[in-house]
Amino acid sequence: MVISKANLSLRLKGIPQPVWQAWWTVLMFGFMYLPIAVLAFYSFNESAISAKWTGFSFKWYSRFFHDERILQALSDSLQVALGSVTIAAFFGTLMAVGLARYRFWGRDIYQNVVYLPLIIPDISIAVATLVFLAAMTVPLSLGTIVASHVVFCLAYVSLAVSTRINSLDSHLEEAAQDLGATPFESFRLVLLPQLYPAIISGCLLAFVCSMDDFLIASFTAGGGINTLPMEIYSRIRTNLTPDLNALSVVLIVTSSLGVLLAEFIRRQSQAKRSRV
Amino acid sequence: MDPELFLPKPRSRRQFLKMAASGAFGLGLSQMLSGCGWQLGNVRSGQSNTSSPNELFLYTWAQYVDEELLKDFRRVTGLRTIRELFDSNEKMMAALQAGKGQTFSVLYPSEYFIPKLIKANLLAELDHDRVQGLDNLMPQFRRSAGDWDNHYGVPFAWGTTGLIYNQEKIPEGIEDWDYLWKNKEKLTRKMTLLDDSREVLGCALKSLNYSLNEVNTDRLKKAYEKLTILKPHIASFTTDGWRTQLASGDLWVAMGYSSDAIGLLKENPKLRYVVPKPGASRWSDWMVIPKAAPNPNAAYQWINYLLKPDIAASVAQRLAVTTPNASAIPLLPQELQHNTVSYPTVEVMARCESMTALTDEAEKLYDKYWTQLTS
Amino acid sequence: MASSPFSNSSKSWSQRLEPFLMLVPAGLWLFLLLILPTLLIFELSLVPGIKPGDLVNPSSLVNYFKIFEPSVLWVILRSIGLSIATTLFCLILGFPVAYWIALLAPKRWQNLLLLGFVLPLWTSSLLRTYAWISILRPTGVLNTLLMILHLPTVDVMNQLPAVLVGMTYSLLPYMVLILYSSLEKIDRRLLEAAADLGAPPKDVFVNITVPQALPGIAAGVLLVFINAIGDFVNPELLGGPSSMTAARLLYSRFLGASPDWGMGSALSALLIMLVTLVIVCLIKYGDKNARAI
Repeated sequence: MVISKANLSLRLKGIPQPVWQAWWTVLMFGFMYLPIAVLAFYSFNESAISAKWTGFSFKWYSRFFHDERILQALSDSLQVALGSVTIAAFFGTLMAVGLARYRFWGRDIYQNVVYLPLIIPDISIAVATLVFLAAMTVPLSLGTIVASHVVFCLAYVSLAVSTRINSLDSHLEEAAQDLGATPFESFRLVLLPQLYPAIISGCLLAFVCSMDDFLIASFTAGGGINTLPMEIYSRIRTNLTPDLNALSVVLIVTSSLGVLLAEFIRRQSQAKRSRV
Repeated sequence: MDPELFLPKPRSRRQFLKMAASGAFGLGLSQMLSGCGWQLGNVRSGQSNTSSPNELFLYTWAQYVDEELLKDFRRVTGLRTIRELFDSNEKMMAALQAGKGQTFSVLYPSEYFIPKLIKANLLAELDHDRVQGLDNLMPQFRRSAGDWDNHYGVPFAWGTTGLIYNQEKIPEGIEDWDYLWKNKEKLTRKMTLLDDSREVLGCALKSLNYSLNEVNTDRLKKAYEKLTILKPHIASFTTDGWRTQLASGDLWVAMGYSSDAIGLLKENPKLRYVVPKPGASRWSDWMVIPKAAPNPNAAYQWINYLLKPDIAASVAQRLAVTTPNASAIPLLPQELQHNTVSYPTVEVMARCESMTALTDEAEKLYDKYWTQLTS
Repeated sequence: MASSPFSNSSKSWSQRLEPFLMLVPAGLWLFLLLILPTLLIFELSLVPGIKPGDLVNPSSLVNYFKIFEPSVLWVILRSIGLSIATTLFCLILGFPVAYWIALLAPKRWQNLLLLGFVLPLWTSSLLRTYAWISILRPTGVLNTLLMILHLPTVDVMNQLPAVLVGMTYSLLPYMVLILYSSLEKIDRRLLEAAADLGAPPKDVFVNITVPQALPGIAAGVLLVFINAIGDFVNPELLGGPSSMTAARLLYSRFLGASPDWGMGSALSALLIMLVTLVIVCLIKYGDKNARAI
C-alpha cells in the first residue's frame, strides 16, 4: 500500500512520464496538422487530380502568383479586413473604455449586445444584414461588407480591451486627473498606452476573422466583389482547385508568422510589465 | 468608402425612423403587426451606380470563362471585363433580386428563362440600331420562344444535355436515362446530377416519355417520385463540381451539358458523351442587358464583339462551345465542325426538345418538388 | 484662468458630452446592423412567401408551420443530431489533450503546446475543409494510402460521416481551449493531497478533477454546439444532397434556386431562439471561461 501511494504521488509531482494522455495528445496534434500537411505536400505535386505522387513541381506556385483573380480577391479581402478592423479598433476601444467608466441605465444590455455576434450563428447575422440592407434599399458593395464586418470586429476588440481594463489600476488615471490632466488627456496619455497590447491583439483576432469570413461577405457583397473566402468557395464548388494548394501554403505561412509575431509582442510586453 | 452608403435614402427615412423608434421602444413587434406594411427593397432600375465607365461586369456560367477573350476585348476596346459566376438560372435571379445586380451589364440566362426575367421587369430591350451582325445568326436563333427577333437578347452558345461517363468503369455504355435507375446500386455516390430544377426534373420527365415542359400535376409528381428513388445514390447536385472528379475516377457518370463534354472528351479519351434516350433538352444561353446595367455602352460593345464571325469562331474553339453564329462555322477547324457532340446528328436532334417558360402554377410546382428534392 | 467660469462650464460640457462620444458611435452601429436587422428577421418571418420587392405586411405564422413540415423538420433534427455528435466527439477527443497540457505537461511548455494546438484555427477554414475533401474523396489521400496498405477502402465523402469529421476538426481547438482554461485552475496540490491520502487515480479524477472542471465542460459543450449548429461550410462542401442541415437550408432560402425570404427568416429566427436557449443554459451553468473565446 505504502509503495503504491508513493508511486502515485511521484507520478503527479515529478517529471511526467509518457502517460496515455501524452500519446493521445500527440495523436490529436497529428489530427490537427494532417490536413495542413496534405495541402502543403500536394502543392508540390505535378498532377492536379491524382492523390498519388506524380513528380515534384513548382508550377502551382508560379500559377498562383500569376492568377489575377486570386490576387484581386486577396486585395478585396485585405481592404475589407483593414477597413473594418480600423473602424472597430477606434469605436471599439472608445466603447470599452466608456463601458468601464460610466454607469448608466441599460449598460448591461449594451454590454451583452456587444458580444452577441460571437454567439448568434454567422448565417443568421448574414441573412439579417441582407434583409436590413434590402429594406433600406442600400445597394450592396464593398462598403456593405465592411459595415457588416465591423459588427463582429467590435466584439473582438472590446472583449480584449475590457479584459485589459479590468486588470488595470484605475488610480493611475485618477492621479493624472488630480494633477491637472483633462479626462481626454488622461485617456490619451495614461490609459491608452496601457491598452495598446490589448487593442493590437483584439485587432489581430478581428482581422483574422474578417479575412476568414465567408458567409457574411457572400450575403453582403455587391456583384463583382469577391473576397478571398468567396473566391476559394467558388473554386471548390466549380472544381477549379489546383492552385488552391499553393494558396493555402502561402496563407498558412503568413498567418503562422503573424501569430508567432503577436505571441512574441505579447511576451515582450508581459516581460516589460513584470519588470515594472 | 462612401459615407452616403450608410444613410437611408430619403424616401425610406420616414419608415426608417418609424422602425428605429419601434425597435427602441423594446421590440415593437406588435406595433409592426398592426401598422401598415413597408416595402422590402428591390433593385430599382436606373439606380445611380458607382461603377467606372471603363469596366464591364459579366454574370455568366463557369464554362464560359475565357480569359483570353477578356484580354483581346480589352486590347480592342480598352474595357476591363470582370466576370462573376452562377450555376443555375434561378440562383442568378435570386442574387439579382437580393440586390447584387447593380454592377452587371451583361447576363447569360438560358433561353427559357428570358421570359421570366422580362416579366420581372429586369431586362432592357435591345436597341437594334446598336447591334451589328444579327444576320450572322442561324435562323432558328432569330426567333425563339419568348424572344422573337432578338428583342431582348443575342444567343451565345447552344447545345444538348446528356450524360458524360467513364468508358473504363462503364464498358457497356449508357444509352438511356433509365440506366441510372437500373444501376443505382453500382453507381452509388459515383454519379452527379445538375444543380438545375428544370434540367433534373426534365430528365426524369423524359425518362417517363413525357415532355420537358410538362405541366400536368400527376406526371410531374411521378417524375419527382422517380427522382426520390435516385436521390440517396447521387453524390451531389452540381453544375460544375464534377469535372476533375470524373477525371480522377471519383465519379463514373455525371449529368452535364454538351459544351462541357467537348473539351473534356478531347483531354480525356476515357470519357464518352451521350444524349440519352428517349430524349433530352436542347438549350441555348443568351446574352442580355439588364435594365439596371451601369454600362450599357460596354454591353453593346461586348455583344457586337461576340457577334463577329471570327471572334465567335475563336471562342467556340477555345471554350469548345457550339456557336449559333452561322458565319462562324466555316471558320472552325474541320474536326470541330464534324464533332457529333457539338453538332449532333439529325437523329439525335430529333429526340431533343427545347425548354419553354412555364405558367406560374407549374413553376410553383417545379419549385416545390425541387426544394423537396434538394433538402 | 483655470477657475474661470467659462473654462469650467466648457469642461463640464465636454465631460457631459464624453460618454456620448464614447458610447454612441459603436452603439449606433450595433443597433443599425445587428439589433434592427434581427428584429426585421422576426418581422419578416411573419410574412408568407415574401420576395424582394414585395410589400411587407406581417400577417401569419405560415412560415413557422412550414418549418414543421416533415421534410424541413427532418433537416432541423438532423442538424441538432449532427451538432450533438460533433460536441460529443470534441469532448471525448479534446478532454485528454486539455488534461495533459493543463495538468501533466511541464509548466513552461503549456503555453506553447496550447498555441500549437490552436494554430490551425488561424488558417482559412475553407481551405481546411478543402483539405478534408482531398483526404476523404473516393480516390483521395486516405483511400490511396489504404490501397497501398492493402486494406479495404472507405466511402464517406458526400455523407454525414465526412461532415462529422470536418466539423469535429474545426471545433476541437475551441473545446480544448476552454477545457484547458478551466482545468488549469485546478490546484495540483489538491490532486497530490488526494493521492497522498490514498485515493486511487480514478477516484481522484471522478471526485476532484471532473467536478472542478464541470463549468468548463459545460461551457465547452454549449459553445461547440452553438458553432456546430450554425456551421454552413462543412455540411455544404463535405455532405452530399442527403446531409442537408438547417444552415444550408437557410442559405438556399435566400440565395438558392427558389428563394423564400419569409420561410428563411422563420428558420433564422428559430435558430436564434435555439441558440439563445443554449446561452441561457450557458450563463446559468457555465462560468466566465466561455467569454474568453
